[in-house]
Amino acid sequence: MANMLNKPELLRDDGKRLDGRDLDELRPLSIKANVLKNAAGSAYTEWGNNKVLAAVYGPKEVVPRHFLDPERAVIKCRYAMAPFSSLSDHGRSGPNRRAIEISKVTKEVFDNVVMLEEFPETAIEISIEILQSDGGTRAAGITTAAVALANAGIPMKDLVYSVSAGKIKDKIILDLDMLEDNYSDADMPVAVSPRTGNILLLQMDGELTRQELNLGLDTILEAGKQISKIQRQALIDVYE
Amino acid sequence: MPFVVLHLRHKIIKYKGLIFRVCYYKITTCKDFMNTILIPGDLIETDVARNRNYYFTDGNNSYCTSMCILNNGRLVPLEGLWYPNEGETVVGVVKEVKNSIVEVDLSHFLRAIIIKSPRDRIAFRIGDIIEASVKQVEDKKTIILIFPRLLKSGQLLQVKAVKVPRIIGKNNTMVGQISSFTKSNIIIGYNGLIYIKGGDMALAVSAILKVAAEAHKPGLTESVKKFLERELEVTEK
Repeated sequence: MANMLNKPELLRDDGKRLDGRDLDELRPLSIKANVLKNAAGSAYTEWGNNKVLAAVYGPKEVVPRHFLDPERAVIKCRYAMAPFSSLSDHGRSGPNRRAIEISKVTKEVFDNVVMLEEFPETAIEISIEILQSDGGTRAAGITTAAVALANAGIPMKDLVYSVSAGKIKDKIILDLDMLEDNYSDADMPVAVSPRTGNILLLQMDGELTRQELNLGLDTILEAGKQISKIQRQALIDVYE
Repeated sequence: MPFVVLHLRHKIIKYKGLIFRVCYYKITTCKDFMNTILIPGDLIETDVARNRNYYFTDGNNSYCTSMCILNNGRLVPLEGLWYPNEGETVVGVVKEVKNSIVEVDLSHFLRAIIIKSPRDRIAFRIGDIIEASVKQVEDKKTIILIFPRLLKSGQLLQVKAVKVPRIIGKNNTMVGQISSFTKSNIIIGYNGLIYIKGGDMALAVSAILKVAAEAHKPGLTESVKKFLERELEVTEK
């Protein structure tokens, strides 16, 4: 937990953020699809200093069998941070409390877009590995996993993206890095289905007024066009 | 080359308690209609012939569910899974032999079985490679196979199932060409497993993998022919 008493100044005098970005500017984002030979689908993302690898397997047999659903497929999602991914400790074996929570919310995002009823009694496995973290890894993980799912040929109703918005001194900012994540007044990761505009994930840490929430969502939807474009290009590049 | 595409649209209008259906054409230009790549969630134009497994309908519009390509007004999948249809040939490996059924591994999420009959002359053993036809799919869960045939002493190759139609080619042209050049016996399963026996098997495998890798490109039959000729020339020298 960040010590709020020693809160650093997060905005420069010229109104820009510490890394020189505007308030509504994304970090540099690049996605590459089909990077793993043995997975059905995969993608690798570099988003600022975040480095994320996602792989998709299946549809396959459900193990253990009590997870089986006779009407639809089940999504098994595993979000994990590599031991060397950040300054804090991620070295112990097995998922920690945070990883279990992020795996759960990621699974619920894809439950809404993957056509699970096509594959009853099967499982689709999504593995998200954070190789290097710098804030906003759950958003980067969801964005990468969506590309990996499309690369695997799993039928989906939409290609979702995710990005976070936050607040520093009554100003709404987009795509928070680690420092902003720890010391900002609010942090709100959101996952969106761009075709319908449906919000599939909305978590919030901190406080936002109703107006600030709406402004944050508008900023995310605007930035989403750029993210969707990069996701599309990553998928098309596989065939060129 | 840009194309102008006419899309037939209709609208329901209510006026003074009466309901009217108005049809009109929407004109759009498409940069390259021949080879437009679609991703999940992309709108499919109304005049595109669709493969029923790769789109869904929401209201009046249809949307793509997998990576597809628009090729001459047809929706062709680039990535996707195999959805078995009656009469399709498959290649698989015997996984389990029971008293009344034989379970076959088709490298697919559905369970595949052959129901034994007393008239069957084939003695199945675990690990046998077989060719069979799809009889039916029960409840989207089990594929029932008929007409099994044992395949012996060959090689098994796996490719993505969506590439299989391209490997077979129009009127078997592509597989026929590879067979005639390499003198191999090639049996292609729609599930993505390919059995190759005899002749220059290594060259046949290379040619099939080339087709699978370049399945989305036009003029593939000609380029594979050149590839096979070049490789055979090198071997003869």
